[in-house]
Amino acid sequence: MPSPDAAERRITFVKKVLANGQPCAKCADVEQRLRTSGHMAAIHRTVIADERDPDSEGMRIAAEHNVELAPFFVVEEGGDTRIYTIYFRFAREVLGSGGAAKPKREAEEILRANPDLDLV
Amino acid sequence: MAQISAQALPSPAEEARNVLIEAFESFETERIAISFSGAEDVVLIDLAATILGKDVPVFSLDTGRLHPETYRFLETVRDHYGIGLEVLAPDGAEVTRLVKEKGLFSFYRDGHGECCAVRKIEPLRRKLGELDAWITGQRADQSVTRAELPTAQEDVAFSTGDHPIFKFNPLANWTSADVWDYIRANDVPYNPLHDSGFLSIGCEPCTRPVGPHEHERNGRWWWENATDKECGLHAQNLAPRPVRIVA
Repeated sequence: MPSPDAAERRITFVKKVLANGQPCAKCADVEQRLRTSGHMAAIHRTVIADERDPDSEGMRIAAEHNVELAPFFVVEEGGDTRIYTIYFRFAREVLGSGGAAKPKREAEEILRANPDLDLV
Repeated sequence: MAQISAQALPSPAEEARNVLIEAFESFETERIAISFSGAEDVVLIDLAATILGKDVPVFSLDTGRLHPETYRFLETVRDHYGIGLEVLAPDGAEVTRLVKEKGLFSFYRDGHGECCAVRKIEPLRRKLGELDAWITGQRADQSVTRAELPTAQEDVAFSTGDHPIFKFNPLANWTSADVWDYIRANDVPYNPLHDSGFLSIGCEPCTRPVGPHEHERNGRWWWENATDKECGLHAQNLAPRPVRIVA
């Protein structure tokens, strides 16, 4: 269960299922990180964005927030909604951990979420 | 009969210059800088020099793998405009680790993301930690992911909760032809690789010339394919709610 001090915060983890029914590799990697760090308990809901079903809840949430990458996190808190597509930033800013993440890993995540940066 | 005169639209150069003026009026020159790739985005420096003269703040990301022509061109630009071009290097320990573990050409096997992260994105992130805004030569016509590129935006890639960063893209609405028209009309120095068929210029192992009708993106990371789009969510875009995409 989420900790009491995060009672006002709701976190939704959206992960993707590929057309072949398999989870996307990045989503599986992030979920594993959440589990091994014990942070899965901070997640209120896990929602699937199923490539085979554009009406799946995850696909609808992605469309609603104009998110084009998976996995991502929807953080609702005090009337504010924030979307995180970079896991390490989510971990650092929302979960209060991940500060020890290697800068390279976060840089890779930034590039993955912003592919046009490779032309800078 | 009354004459109806259509108001002339600003030229691409006037529009870009206005964006630069807005940027430099909005941020102290110590807190904003142009990111110069050593390619045709030199027009940004040329335009900015008409506003700030030799005080144009410029940095370049030296990945350690640029073409010799690009290194020489950086010095040409430094001398031509008399600017203090800051050349940023990647973290030596990270480069050493990457090369020791995966060799000098791991990007041909593993994709360019890891190498770009070490040599380009992380140094850029460090630099942006010192700034409140940066200016890029990005154009909407460079790739499909830039089709909606605005001339000014909050940079969601590098902003953090306590340090928002803004990004100005004065050339967003320029075409490649606009860039070259400007370079020729204003006798702007340019990277000689462009004369050898290079449209987009990055690191030497990851850049090649393209044919006359090829998109410039085809000259970069040509060995990669659509499989690296696995994380994409091709959902139909709906009217967005007012949410903040942190990154």
